[in-house]
Amino acid sequence: MRNPPTLLSLAIDSAVINFCRISDLSFVPEHILLELFVRTLKAGKLNEKILKLFIATGKEEILSVIESLNIQHILVPVLPTLIIKDDEVDIVIGALQSDLTSFMEAWRPMFSRFHLIIVKDPDLKEELKVPGGFNLNLYTKSDMDKVVDSSSSTISFSGYSCRYFGYLMSRKKYIISIDDDCIPAKDSKGELIDAVAQHITNLTTPATPFFFNTLYDPFSEGTDFVRGYPFSLRSGVECGLSCGLWLNLADYDAPTQALKPSARNSRYVDAVLTVPARTMLPLSGINIAFNNELVGPTLLPAFRLAKEGKFRWETVEDIWTGMCAKVVCDHLRLGVKSGLPYVWRQERGNAVESLKKEWEGVQLMEEVVPFFQSVRLSEAAVTAEDCIAEIAASVKEQLGRSNPMFARAAENMVEWIKLWKQVRSL
Amino acid sequence: MAAPKSSTPLLKDELDIVIPTIRNLDFLEMWRPFFQPYHLIIVQDGDPSKTIKVPDGFDYELYNRNDINKILGPKANCISFKDSACRCFGYMVSKKKYIFTIDDDCFVAKDPTGKEINALEQHIKNLLSPSTPFFFNTLYDPYRDGTDFVRGYPFSLREGVPTAVSHGLWLNIPDYDAPTQLVKPLERNTRFVDAVMTIPKGTLFPMCGMNLAFNRELIGPAMYFGLMGDGQPIGRYDDMWAGWCIKVICDHLGLGVKTGLPYIWHSKASNPFVNLKKEYKGIYWQEELIPFFQSVALPKDCTTVQKCYMELSKQVKAKLGKVDDYFNKLADAMVTWIEAWDELNPSGAAAGAPKVSAK
Repeated sequence: MRNPPTLLSLAIDSAVINFCRISDLSFVPEHILLELFVRTLKAGKLNEKILKLFIATGKEEILSVIESLNIQHILVPVLPTLIIKDDEVDIVIGALQSDLTSFMEAWRPMFSRFHLIIVKDPDLKEELKVPGGFNLNLYTKSDMDKVVDSSSSTISFSGYSCRYFGYLMSRKKYIISIDDDCIPAKDSKGELIDAVAQHITNLTTPATPFFFNTLYDPFSEGTDFVRGYPFSLRSGVECGLSCGLWLNLADYDAPTQALKPSARNSRYVDAVLTVPARTMLPLSGINIAFNNELVGPTLLPAFRLAKEGKFRWETVEDIWTGMCAKVVCDHLRLGVKSGLPYVWRQERGNAVESLKKEWEGVQLMEEVVPFFQSVRLSEAAVTAEDCIAEIAASVKEQLGRSNPMFARAAENMVEWIKLWKQVRSL
Repeated sequence: MAAPKSSTPLLKDELDIVIPTIRNLDFLEMWRPFFQPYHLIIVQDGDPSKTIKVPDGFDYELYNRNDINKILGPKANCISFKDSACRCFGYMVSKKKYIFTIDDDCFVAKDPTGKEINALEQHIKNLLSPSTPFFFNTLYDPYRDGTDFVRGYPFSLREGVPTAVSHGLWLNIPDYDAPTQLVKPLERNTRFVDAVMTIPKGTLFPMCGMNLAFNRELIGPAMYFGLMGDGQPIGRYDDMWAGWCIKVICDHLGLGVKTGLPYIWHSKASNPFVNLKKEYKGIYWQEELIPFFQSVALPKDCTTVQKCYMELSKQVKAKLGKVDDYFNKLADAMVTWIEAWDELNPSGAAAGAPKVSAK
C-alpha cells in the first residue's frame, strides 16, 4: 500500500509549479530549500530568475550544490523587447490524441515556465494522459457544454477547433498554440528552437506592414531598415499575430502531399517578416501566436467543411479564420508576422486517403478569396469584435446567398462574439 | 527518390550584364567563371578621357559620356552624370531580353556550406519561374526546389504571373542609408536567408540597383534611374525611384517582382557623410513620394510599359512639381527617356541602334 504524499511534499510540488509568484526564498529552512531545488531541476523549471532566488538565500548547501553541478549563467543577448512576465502568456494545446506524454516532454523546457490550457477534442473517447510538473488547466466536453448550449448553437469544438475553447477561456495577454503532433525543431546550427520565446519576441516587437523591408524584420538582431525605407514608417505598428512555420511535414494540402509523398521541408529560412497590409495569406493554425488583448475575438471556429477530419489537410477552418484575422489586423493597423519559429511536424496520416473524401469545402474556399481581398470595414469598427461583426454581416450578405455553409459561418461568427463578451463579463 | 535537378539555362545570348564604373574592373576576375559566357555593357561614368581597364577574355561594349552624347544627342540630358544612375543607358542600348546589373564593389559570396554563389544563375531561375503577387505563400517562392504552395493557397492563383524583376541582396556591407550608417558603422549583414519571395501587389519596396536583374522585354522602359549626381540636388535615390515606378507598373500590368536570393558580397562601405549630403533631400522628399506612389492609379488603357510610364510622368509633374521644381525636370526627363528608348528600340524592326564596338 503506497503512502500518500506528505503535506510537505505537496507544498514543495505546488511551489515548483507556482515559482512565478515567489519572489523570496530566504525564509525557507535549508533542508526544504534543497528538496525544492532538486525538484525544480527535475521538473526542468530552473531558469535565470529562479536560480537567482536560490543564490540570494546565501545558504551554504545550496551554493555548493550549484557549484558542484557547474550550473552557469547563460548570457542572453539584450533584445529590444518588453519584459514579458511569465503570467502574461497562455499556451493553448488542442489535444486530438489521448497520450500527450511525448509531446509535453519534448516541449517541457520551453513550456514549463508558463501556464498551459489543454483542451480535449470532444470526440476523443479515451482518457487524456498528461505528464506532471506543469501548471495547467484541462478543459473537456463537459466544460464546453456548460458554456455553449450545443442544442441551439452551430459552433462546434470538434477536432482542431477544440483549441478555440481554450482561447475563449484564457485571460492572458499572449496566447501561443501548437498542434499536438509537433515537437521542437533544430535550427541550422543544430540547436533546439524555443518556439515560445520566438513567438513572444515577434509579438512584442513592432511590425512593418506598410512598406516592405528587403532585409526582412528590421527589429531582429544584426539587421535594420534599408536605404529608401521611409523614416516616418520606421516605428512600426503593434504585432497582432505571429505565424510560425514547419520543418519535416510542411503544411501542404492533400493533393500536394499526395503528389509528392516524400516531400519534406528541410529548408530553414532564418527570417521573420511582416506580411504587408492588404495582402492575404494562408494562416496555418499549426504553429501560431497572437495578442489576445488586441485580436483575441478574431480567432474563432466558424467555417467547417462538411466532412472535416482529424488531419490538418482535411480542414480549412484555420484558413477561414486566418483571412478574417488578416482583414481585422489590416483595418486596425496591426501587423501580422510570418517566418520563425519553426517546429518539427511529425508524420501523420495518409494524404491519398484524405484525397478520397469530399472536396466541396475546398472548392468553396476559392470563391472566398476575392471577397476577403476586397472587403472593407467602416471607420466605426475600432475593436476586433466590431470588425468581426461587420465581416460576418458582409459574409452573410455577399457569400451567404450562394451557399448555406457561408451563412452558417457568418452565424457562428456573430454567436462567437456574443459568447466572448458573455464569458468575460462573468 | 528525388527528381533529377533541372539545370538552369545559361541564356548566354539572351542576357547582357550592365556595369557602371569609374575605376577599373578588376572585380570581374572573381566573377569570371560565372560571367565569361556573357556579353558585358560597360557604362563609364565620370571623366571620359580616362581608360577603363577590362580584364582579358570578356566580350564587351563600353560607353563613356562622349558616346552617350553622340548616340542620344539632345536627349542625352536624361542620363545622369557622375552617378551610377548612368547605368540605365546600358539598359537602353542593349538588344537582349534580360539584363543583370551589378556594382563594381560586389563580389562572389559564399552560402552557409561554403560554396560560392552563382548569383547570375539564381537571378535567371527567379526570372524564368513565375511570381505570386496576389496571395502570400508562407513557404516563400513555391517554384523553388524543395518547396510548394501551402494549404489554403488558392488553386486558381497557383499558375502565377510572369516575373519582371529579380532583386538580390548583399552580405557584409548592407545597403543602409547615411543616418543608419553613421549610427551603426560596424554592422555587417551575416544572416543568410535562404528564400526568394514575391513582393505582394500593392506593396512598395526599396529597390537596390547593386544586384538586380530584369526582363527587359517586360519592364525595360520603366527602368529609368532618374536624374542624379552632377548638377542635381539629390543622389542615391536612382534605384529607389526606378523601383517605385516599376512596382506600380508591374502591379498594374500583372507582373511579378521577386526579392531575396541571390546574395553577393558587398565589399565597400561608402562614406556616410558624403552619402548624407547626397541623400538629405531624398530623405525628406520620400515622405511625399511614398504616398504619391501608393495612391497612383493608372488608367485601363495604359496597356504597355511605355504608356504607363508616360502617364506616370504626367502625374509626377502634376502632383510632385509642387514639392520641388526638381520633379518637373524629372518628369520631363522621364518623357525624354521613353522617347530615346523607343528611338533606339523600334518595335518589331531588326534595326539596331548605332553601337560602339568592343575595344
